[in-house]
Amino acid sequence: MKLNLRLKIGITILAVFTLSSVFLPFFTNVDPSEQGTYFRNIPMSWKHPLGTNSLGQDIFWFLIFAIRNSLLLGVAVSLCTVFISLIVGLSAGYIGGWFDRAVMLFTDSLIAIPTFPILIVLGTLVRGRTNFVILGLILVIFGWAWNARMVRSMALSIREREFISTARFSGASTLDIILKEVFPYVYAYMVVGFINSILFVINTEAALAIIGLSKVEIPTLGSIIFWALNYSAMFVGQYTWIVAPVVATVLLFLGLFLTSTGYNELFAARRGHS
Amino acid sequence: MIKLNNIVASYTTVRGQVTAVDGVNLQVPSGYIVGIAGESGCGKTTLLRVLYGDVRFPLALERGSVQYDFCDDNGQVVTSDNIRGYWFKRISYIPQTSMNSLNPVIRIRKQFVDFRHSKKEKAEVLAEVRAYVKDLGLPPEAIDAYPHQLSGGMRQRVMVAMATFFKPDIILADEPTTALDVVVQKGILLLLMNLQEQMKNTIFLVTHDMGVHYQIAHKMLIMYAAKAVEFGDSGAVFEESLHPYTRMLIESLPTVGGDRMRQGVRGRPPSLWDDLHGCRFAPRCPLATELCRVEEPALKEYRPGHFTACHYVESS
Repeated sequence: MKLNLRLKIGITILAVFTLSSVFLPFFTNVDPSEQGTYFRNIPMSWKHPLGTNSLGQDIFWFLIFAIRNSLLLGVAVSLCTVFISLIVGLSAGYIGGWFDRAVMLFTDSLIAIPTFPILIVLGTLVRGRTNFVILGLILVIFGWAWNARMVRSMALSIREREFISTARFSGASTLDIILKEVFPYVYAYMVVGFINSILFVINTEAALAIIGLSKVEIPTLGSIIFWALNYSAMFVGQYTWIVAPVVATVLLFLGLFLTSTGYNELFAARRGHS
Repeated sequence: MIKLNNIVASYTTVRGQVTAVDGVNLQVPSGYIVGIAGESGCGKTTLLRVLYGDVRFPLALERGSVQYDFCDDNGQVVTSDNIRGYWFKRISYIPQTSMNSLNPVIRIRKQFVDFRHSKKEKAEVLAEVRAYVKDLGLPPEAIDAYPHQLSGGMRQRVMVAMATFFKPDIILADEPTTALDVVVQKGILLLLMNLQEQMKNTIFLVTHDMGVHYQIAHKMLIMYAAKAVEFGDSGAVFEESLHPYTRMLIESLPTVGGDRMRQGVRGRPPSLWDDLHGCRFAPRCPLATELCRVEEPALKEYRPGHFTACHYVESS
């Protein structure tokens, strides 16, 4: 298996982000969300690589914790959505009939409802009392439908292929066929779906945080930008406060995107294309 | 002896029921290659599906049953009711389109090991598979490949290997060589014949190619419009056929060096939607009389082991 360039760059970026955000927090005993730990507005130095902000927080450590929390939320929510969409999509597509119609009616309603306005309404309702788990749950509820539809349409087409008959004729049960024949087909697309779902989650959380509807005391990529905007970082010359999270977010998205398209390419090569 | 007891199988369609196999009543002796021939839509594949026990919507077994030539654990003869439990162990199936019968994203060795029945260690099974595949004229490395990396002939050999790996008593082959060129076709057919000779199992072979039937089938079953019209040793069926349809089919075969103009069978087979009565071949039969149009001939044994359904066997 030869990794292509996209995949190499993507995995490298993701590895740097993941490893640094997972392991670096062990080297500090400061809670970065605590305000007034340091003097305010210290410029970049060895002690504070990105300086401190107007709230007396170390921007570098705040950023590291933010990346960790955002990634954690993204991965956890995406695992759930991928799991749900696999179960729903595979069963609906393979079993078909009235079961398929009932399940897809529900899925389609979730797709048709615009997620972001709903999140804004929900965020306003629970403002200040929300926590990470509830936010994650809401994202799961609104995140699985697209993938489920994709998996279902693939299962629907694979169900009619000749090799499914071969498997059935050799005595495989429905569960066997779904797991051993249909799943290998869907699996590579779900890796891509998983990565895209992480993108969606981080993005949505950041968007909610920026308009102040997430739990902004917890460091996330969105909440840094929220605080930076709130304290007019640009105008008081605190460039690192606003630029660092934006650059980090863009790099993270680039890493996820390259990994997702690179993996797609790799799987296509394995199937015999290109 | 495989007993087909008056099998009536029909499909549910938007227009209603259509009977694709209508009262096939046969006793097939075990241990032979049985060729099934007939025009498209005469019920060959439906008969195979019934034989395999793959009866599910829209196909339904209206009447009749199949009794196989092996017993279950309690010593009872296996019938069409419980044949499903013996799929690929005692009865197996070589599909028509080997090209698409293997999952393209899974290596072939994994597809071999995925048979649920194998309780042995994976490595042990794999070693057996490698040895077996080599016997069938495939490089043992072939099973490490993905299906698209093999040629059509190799893929069909892999399918034959899968279908015969457990040494089943009955093998059903639905046009196993249709998509292959004649050289590869010959290889596959010889392979099937050799395997049958070693394992002494019964092979039901469906193909349109009468030449193939002539070369490898021991017994022949000729079908016409959902009915069995002639059954017997293939030598007898080809050389001294009793039914006019069989004779006309064989007449139409080209021979090497023959410069005679070949006659087809005029007309078309009847639509199975129509209300059919009398002999179904009567509209196209040169010997047909009023009796044929009114009364349906039964499948009777005219010579030892040679059956046909025609009113005028003696006179022709």
